Amino acid sequence: MQHYNQTPKRKAEFINPPNHLKDKVGSGGISDDILDKAEALLENNTVDFQPLAEMYLGSLMKGIDMCKDSSASDDDEYLISTMLYPAMQLKANGGMFHYPLITEVADRLIQFLEVIDAPDLESIEIVLAFHTTMRAIIHGKIKGEGGSHGRELLKALNKACIRYFEKPVA
Amino acid sequence: MAYKFSTINVLIVEDNLPMMELTRSILETFGIEHVDSAKDGEEGFAMFCQHNYDLVIADWMMKPMDGISLTRRIRNDPLSPNQFVPVILVTGFSEKRRVIQARDAGVTEFLVKPFNARDLYRRIAQIIERPRQFVRSEDFFGPDRRRKRKSAYTGPMRRESDAEEAEEARKKPTDFAKTLQTAEEFRDPNIERSSS
Repeated sequence: MQHYNQTPKRKAEFINPPNHLKDKVGSGGISDDILDKAEALLENNTVDFQPLAEMYLGSLMKGIDMCKDSSASDDDEYLISTMLYPAMQLKANGGMFHYPLITEVADRLIQFLEVIDAPDLESIEIVLAFHTTMRAIIHGKIKGEGGSHGRELLKALNKACIRYFEKPVA
Repeated sequence: MAYKFSTINVLIVEDNLPMMELTRSILETFGIEHVDSAKDGEEGFAMFCQHNYDLVIADWMMKPMDGISLTRRIRNDPLSPNQFVPVILVTGFSEKRRVIQARDAGVTEFLVKPFNARDLYRRIAQIIERPRQFVRSEDFFGPDRRRKRKSAYTGPMRRESDAEEAEEARKKPTDFAKTLQTAEEFRDPNIERSSS
């Protein structure tokens, strides 16, 4: 309730636009059969993820190299984004094309990149470890969750990230 | 009765061809017959101006124009044929600050990749059945960012209308007051009460 005392900062106009979509499609939703069919189509897609993954891993490596060669005057946020965007693509597409382990590993990498302040040498080493792991998954054609080996890989990468944040502040 | 999806036209804006094809196949399975595609935001906006689609499904990361910039153009560009068109932004990002960034650009629904067919359907059904009002303020135009019911909203009260709503809320009897009122209504008049 304390917010009620705040001075209003801006005027807002509210508009209820006509719902053209509803007017066109009507009511009733779609049947479970159709949804099951659509799910099956996704699950059975035969897209070869390898060339896509290679492209994104290549972009990630470029980002890593750019960070390695950077100077103190370079924009840290931009440098991190050169690694973050390919990591996001790997996360997004891995799971769509039968590589959920890539999605999990890339998701951890994104979480790491979203919180670091600057790409220092230690953080670049960690990103490199993520890159090597994902490359191994793709080359080994490890589809699915990767079983106990997949869990071990994730655990090791997680530990590396935790160690990074536990390092004493210089 | 089922949705007559054959009557609508949808634009997919996605630079990843396999992903675009997959999304198109799902939509076609739903019964949507008119699905067009563009490979980036720039091409997407040009097509939107030409065909005025009923729904836009856009990826976030694209060059030269990404899904966020496309949404801003759809919402604010005078050339846009329908500023209110629903936009579903599809992305691998799921961090809160990214969702806020998308919401502030005027995105209607946010769908995290990888997604399944039911996830996509739920977003579409949400747009059809629970459309959001639009808000125009000095620095924002797009679907109302306060999605939850007003009673559940606990954030800052920045709108001019908030003061009126706050006053109304203040006038409404609290749960405790309601309980007392109900107790009073059911009080037995034959029982004598001592006054303290």
